[in-house]
Amino acid sequence: MSRPDVILSFMRYEIKRAIARRKVLALIAFTVLLDTLPYYALSTAGTTLIPGSAYPYIWVAGVFAVQPLFLNFTAILIAAGAMSEEYEQGTAELLLSKPVERNDYFAGKFLGGYILFLTILAFNIILSVASAFTFFGTQFGLEILPGLFLVQAFAALIFYSLAFMLGELVRRSSLAYIFSSAVFFSSFIISAYMDLIYTLTGKTIYKTIQIYLPTSPANSLPIQYASPLLPQAVGIVLQFVGSGNAIVPTFDLSVTILLAYTIPAIAIAAAYFWFADISRKIS
Amino acid sequence: MDLEIQKGQVVGFLGPNGSGKTTCIRLILGLIRASSGTVRVNGYDPISKHVRALRHVAYSPELPNLQTFLTPTELLSLVSHELGLPSSSNGRQEEIRRVLELVGILEYADMKIAKLSKGMVQRLSVAQAMMGSPEVLILDEPMIGLDPAGSAHFREVFREFASQKGGTVFMSSHIMSEVESLCTSVAIIHGGRILYHGKVVDVIQKVLDYSVVYLEAQGLTEQTIGKIREIASVSKIVPNGDSLEIIVQGHTDVRPEISDLVVKSGAKLYSIRQAENMLERAYIEALSKTNPGQRTI
Repeated sequence: MSRPDVILSFMRYEIKRAIARRKVLALIAFTVLLDTLPYYALSTAGTTLIPGSAYPYIWVAGVFAVQPLFLNFTAILIAAGAMSEEYEQGTAELLLSKPVERNDYFAGKFLGGYILFLTILAFNIILSVASAFTFFGTQFGLEILPGLFLVQAFAALIFYSLAFMLGELVRRSSLAYIFSSAVFFSSFIISAYMDLIYTLTGKTIYKTIQIYLPTSPANSLPIQYASPLLPQAVGIVLQFVGSGNAIVPTFDLSVTILLAYTIPAIAIAAAYFWFADISRKIS
Repeated sequence: MDLEIQKGQVVGFLGPNGSGKTTCIRLILGLIRASSGTVRVNGYDPISKHVRALRHVAYSPELPNLQTFLTPTELLSLVSHELGLPSSSNGRQEEIRRVLELVGILEYADMKIAKLSKGMVQRLSVAQAMMGSPEVLILDEPMIGLDPAGSAHFREVFREFASQKGGTVFMSSHIMSEVESLCTSVAIIHGGRILYHGKVVDVIQKVLDYSVVYLEAQGLTEQTIGKIREIASVSKIVPNGDSLEIIVQGHTDVRPEISDLVVKSGAKLYSIRQAENMLERAYIEALSKTNPGQRTI
């Protein structure tokens, strides 16, 4: 059997394993709630904040509202346990005692979890559009969705990789979740503080720090991609869901910062996995 | 550590808790790195050349932690992909069926592993090791959790694997009677060093300077027992009802001499046999020689 086949079998295994942990079901339930209830509330209660001209683009609310918190957190939940849970349950030992390359196992686990994340992301987009159509009628600008899907997937890679790396390094799922979430929320909070201090003092150092925090490119990239492709009225919808302005000044810089976090995180996880012992069951 | 194992042998790997048995196995499997020295399996480093080193080497862990969310069929299917077994779905299914049947859990093929008993999980662990055509089976405490019938069945499976297929079995165990009845040779490890290695009978003779004979007879008199005691190599006799435990110095077989005495005395001789489970005595003795203060297993 060729190496791609082995990687593929590990990917399928990882998807099955993650689904069996039931957190994916919880995430799907959250997605359904996030993508239906707000639309229903908006359509029944009405709002003066969103002009009628923006209604044909109201799907962006569901697609973008989840980006800052839900999508990144979903990536963390899936990735942090991918390696660590196997060590905790002692199941890695059996799989790696077979004549398979460690790299294939690593790649299969990483990609399997990521495909699961992409599935939830796609589900979120489809459900947002369906809800928008149901409650607000025909939607426009949907041709950007494939590109937006790819951009959101790429943007979430930063926290997916960080959580995956931490899961491998600490080899305890609860610690990996805590550390990954701590990085995520710290970045979020520090970003808000940096923005405030910059606004008050005007010193660019604070703005620079804010730009290079991991949450900034993760949240900026989808906006930077979608904004030029949608009518200006949609900006109000984005403001409404808290995704109005990109923190990072350019699309390219967002990509660069994302890669600057993602590549080392994957490399560190792979190196540690390669050089460290495969631990037995950790209780 | 220097341990040479011939093809077709069933080797018992013995040692007290913490002696390094599992560490040694994990080194062979490339799961951990040696702090010093080198490990070669089939001539390859089991870490950097993992696939080449472990081709045809299979492993069943101690108290296996299997993927409880899978069924035995699903787990074995994953293993078959890892091993690159028959590319056709039918071929793979046939192989899965074969090993499940071999270990006696075919009827549980589609039940979640979480619902299997400890013994069933142990059987499944051995089943996954038997997938494909392994030449070497490394088994860490393979009999744990098995009922007597299961143990007997596994002994047959391992014997057949070694004798008919020419495979090599390397198993760690604390169950000395199992090892003595199944293994062709043993290695006793302590503190990461091999203390004794060789055929079971050779190791026993090397470690113990005595043998034990059990005699069962009716009508034994003090006089007859006294005469048995007078045999040069007999060092001690422990009477127990109608039977005697006779400790014999060295390894000369004194059974003909003793039975002759008993028959001539007019007593009814029911049986006379060399004691079994001498491996356990040898094992305890070997460890106590290494660490005189510690005589327990």
